[in-house]
Amino acid sequence: MPLPPLVEPAAELTKEEVARYSRHLIIPDVGVDGQKRLKNAKVLVVGAGGLGSPALLYLAAAGVGTLGIVEFDVVDESNLQRQVLHGQSDVGRPKAESARDAVAEINPFVKVNLHQLRLDSSNALDVFADYDLILDGTDNFATRYLVNDAAVLLGKPYVWGSIFRFEGQASVFWAEHGPQYRDLYPEPPPPGMVPSCAEGGVLGVLCASIGSIMVTEAIKLITGIGETLLGRLMVYDALEMTYRTIKIRKDPNADKITELIDYEAFCGVVSDDARSAAAGHTITPLELKQKIDAGENFVLVDVREPHEYEIVKIPGSVLIPKDKILSGEALSELPQDRPVVLHCKSGARSAEALAALHQAGFRDAVHVGGGVLAWAREVDPSLPTY
Amino acid sequence: MVLNVRYFAGAKAATGIGDEDFPLHPESTVDDALRMITERHGSAVARVLPACSLLLDGIAVHDKGIRLASGQQLDVLPPFAGG
Repeated sequence: MPLPPLVEPAAELTKEEVARYSRHLIIPDVGVDGQKRLKNAKVLVVGAGGLGSPALLYLAAAGVGTLGIVEFDVVDESNLQRQVLHGQSDVGRPKAESARDAVAEINPFVKVNLHQLRLDSSNALDVFADYDLILDGTDNFATRYLVNDAAVLLGKPYVWGSIFRFEGQASVFWAEHGPQYRDLYPEPPPPGMVPSCAEGGVLGVLCASIGSIMVTEAIKLITGIGETLLGRLMVYDALEMTYRTIKIRKDPNADKITELIDYEAFCGVVSDDARSAAAGHTITPLELKQKIDAGENFVLVDVREPHEYEIVKIPGSVLIPKDKILSGEALSELPQDRPVVLHCKSGARSAEALAALHQAGFRDAVHVGGGVLAWAREVDPSLPTY
Repeated sequence: MVLNVRYFAGAKAATGIGDEDFPLHPESTVDDALRMITERHGSAVARVLPACSLLLDGIAVHDKGIRLASGQQLDVLPPFAGG
């Protein structure tokens, strides 16, 4: 579906700008008009990391007039394998400042706004308000749902990219004209089930493959040329060297987004300790069912609160609220001679309790990914959920 | 009746293939399709499926009890959020 240009053209290009952008100006589809639109464009890049690096470099080089950068982190040596905005001498510096300097070196005509903050429900709408377009290159589900919902509430388009190991995905989301992120991923995955790049790794150059698609889409949206990825997901596999596109349509049964929520709670964000405890020690509800059916000797511990236990429980479970495990108070109630399986509502609290159990020497303890909600969904749909 | 299933990322790694067809009965649901996928590919894919987004002809599946129609395509997409 062709979209109108997102940005009105600037009044004029200077002599220096004409010289700098000449290779754009002589493409008929871009031309002086398109370059003036780029000059007038205000683009916010959320995250100056793996995807933000190539995105910012190419948006700057392309002549986007105003670039906003949301970033609170500092440059770490482990970033340099893929975050090409930053160099050896930037290690330890705020990424936002390093990014600003790199952009200024590429193109001094670009105005840079730094937003050195952690994006959350209290500030996202204010930060987004001044921009025409947002690029999401963040690294966690909570921020991705936040970026989506804020863009939906403000009626703004955004370009989305995501990477892991050898695979990348990119799309354009714009609820007013097509699908948004929740039409593709209605719910976040159970905590602990999906590894991050820090846990699973990422091929450095993948950032460039997906980042360049994101900038391509940004330029097309700003100037109103071509067919964007709105309504399509691009899936790139670096090992196979294939691109596949998936059609995405608006979800007719989706809940309407009316306000920003607590995204850490929504995604069941867990601590680093809990995340690493859950890695390799998470079983699915079906695997739990198989253990029960096979008559395996283990104890199933529900770490929720008593009132939750009253609403719904997995047969055979015993209730020991998470805090009693974290404080050490309940450790003596746990058997030493058979494995412990923990679960909670969605898998976040049980992952925290799992980390405590591992530390206390219960090395073979596991937890159930997705908790009793996933059990109700996948094993026994007759159970009530809350 | 046939359903074409496409696997991406971790789902593709778990099944070892990009896409395949499954025979359908007139009553077959998305749940039935997931069962057939698990029966054919075993526990590796069973571990991935609960985290996946399922798109049936491009629309997210909420109710896995919905009936399938011949010629439909089911995309199995494990989410990832790296950037």
